[in-house]
Amino acid sequence: MSTDTPVQPKIRIDSVHKSYVIDGRQQEVLAGVDLTVNEGEFVSIIGPSGCGKSTLLNIIAGLDQPDSGNIELSSENSDKHSGTASGRLGRTGYMQQKDLLLPWRSVLDNTILGLELRGVPRKQAREQAMEFTEAFGLQGFEHHYPYALSGGMRQRAAFLRTMLMGQDVVLLDEPFGALDALTRVQMQEWLLQLWESMNKTIVLITHDVDEALLLSDRVYLLTARPGRVTLVLDVDLPRPRHYDLVTSPEFGVLKARLMEPLRSQIQSIQSAGRSTGQTA
Amino acid sequence: MRFLNKITGLLTWLLPVSILFGVVAAWELWVRLADVPQWQLPAPSEIAKELGSSSDLLWDHTLVTLKEIVVGFLAALFAGLVLAGGIAYSRVLERSVYPIVIASQTVPIIAIAPLLLIWVGYGLTPKIIIVALICFYPIAVNTVDGLKATDPDMVNMLRTLGASRWQVFTKLQIPTALPFMFSGIKIGVSVSVIAAVIGEWVGASEGLGYLITYSQPLFLTARVFAAIFVLSVMGISLFMLAVIAEHLMMPWHFNEKRSNSMRQL
Repeated sequence: MSTDTPVQPKIRIDSVHKSYVIDGRQQEVLAGVDLTVNEGEFVSIIGPSGCGKSTLLNIIAGLDQPDSGNIELSSENSDKHSGTASGRLGRTGYMQQKDLLLPWRSVLDNTILGLELRGVPRKQAREQAMEFTEAFGLQGFEHHYPYALSGGMRQRAAFLRTMLMGQDVVLLDEPFGALDALTRVQMQEWLLQLWESMNKTIVLITHDVDEALLLSDRVYLLTARPGRVTLVLDVDLPRPRHYDLVTSPEFGVLKARLMEPLRSQIQSIQSAGRSTGQTA
Repeated sequence: MRFLNKITGLLTWLLPVSILFGVVAAWELWVRLADVPQWQLPAPSEIAKELGSSSDLLWDHTLVTLKEIVVGFLAALFAGLVLAGGIAYSRVLERSVYPIVIASQTVPIIAIAPLLLIWVGYGLTPKIIIVALICFYPIAVNTVDGLKATDPDMVNMLRTLGASRWQVFTKLQIPTALPFMFSGIKIGVSVSVIAAVIGEWVGASEGLGYLITYSQPLFLTARVFAAIFVLSVMGISLFMLAVIAEHLMMPWHFNEKRSNSMRQL
């Protein structure tokens, strides 16, 4: 490997632990998670529900503080220290499963929310957003209120709001989870295309194995609670990728490698659930 | 579909109007057939006549009462919103002031009204204060609830976009509170008319409430009813004004509701 362009880790997470009091009991949610994301990489985190995926993302975004462990975010345009939650807040683009569009704002005014908070004059922010409405499939709907939009459009509007902040690290928490299967495939293809044309580092949380493999350079598989990395899978499929890839034999091989540990985990959750009389 | 909508729309108006009309007609008939004396219960036609013949008198007193209501209500709105904002923004204010606001409602305003006469005199001021005291509470309490009704996920979203506490307040909490605030305003407006009349009953020389207390011992019952009629027209108009303001300020709120109910169909 030549080292004239050293790969810069954008996010480095070392043995992060986190526990919460759930139902009156102290429960460990993350049990020493290590994770590295390099500049420009697309990384997915996959795991059974309740494995602490969202907690991990909240910690990276600075919404939550880990009990122990280190998080480092490297970013050229910040003087704030990334070791503390408050130092990380506002340094990553963060998008959740819910679009969280403000119902009293038009689509356009929703997308400029972050710019506005930063003090960019509305008119200027709107002009900036208008340049992207076509690429985000929002053209002609800029002045509609969110309720008039389809789920996919609302999600793209939320995504544009995130992207306009210009953060080079973007965290996506099951952004397509609430969409129907067809729209989801469309959105995956769209995101794939968009990401390949932009220089962004993306961390995606998903429970959809196809989605993770199709989009990512690397997939981290977490165990059920307490969450811990159990498998790191490099997805060395050629880019640019298209949805057809899902049916190719190479894809099938990778999928099998991911499905096997995932399935055994789900089984262990189910048997644990049966023995304690809980539903998984 | 559209035709059906029109019919149901017409029915929603037609039903209450025809019920009201029926009651008035029965009233008129009863008074005429049973020969009820005028000073006891005037027929609707007599009240209508009275509305015409003493319209100047009624108008003068209406203006006085309306002034008390409008000034008192606006004072309550201002005080209610400022205090609600403070209570929602500062935990210290919430702990110290909010319990007092709630406790203040247990004090019977009617009992305070005569005291106000002693303190601030006989003019418009005590009536304005009574209207303000009564309207203030629903506006403040509803707005506090609204300011606290924010979706925590929305707050987190704003924080990841780099929002300060104040920005979360102005960009999220205040718009979220608007529908709640308007509920408070609508309640406040409805009770404001009653508040003004109570204020005038305690001691006044003008206003529709005064006109009622003045006319009653003289057995000018038709005039009492005419004043009551004007008061309820005033109350309904003020309520409708509040509804119009609500629609103008929150078009998204009503469109969203409509599109949701359409989806359910």
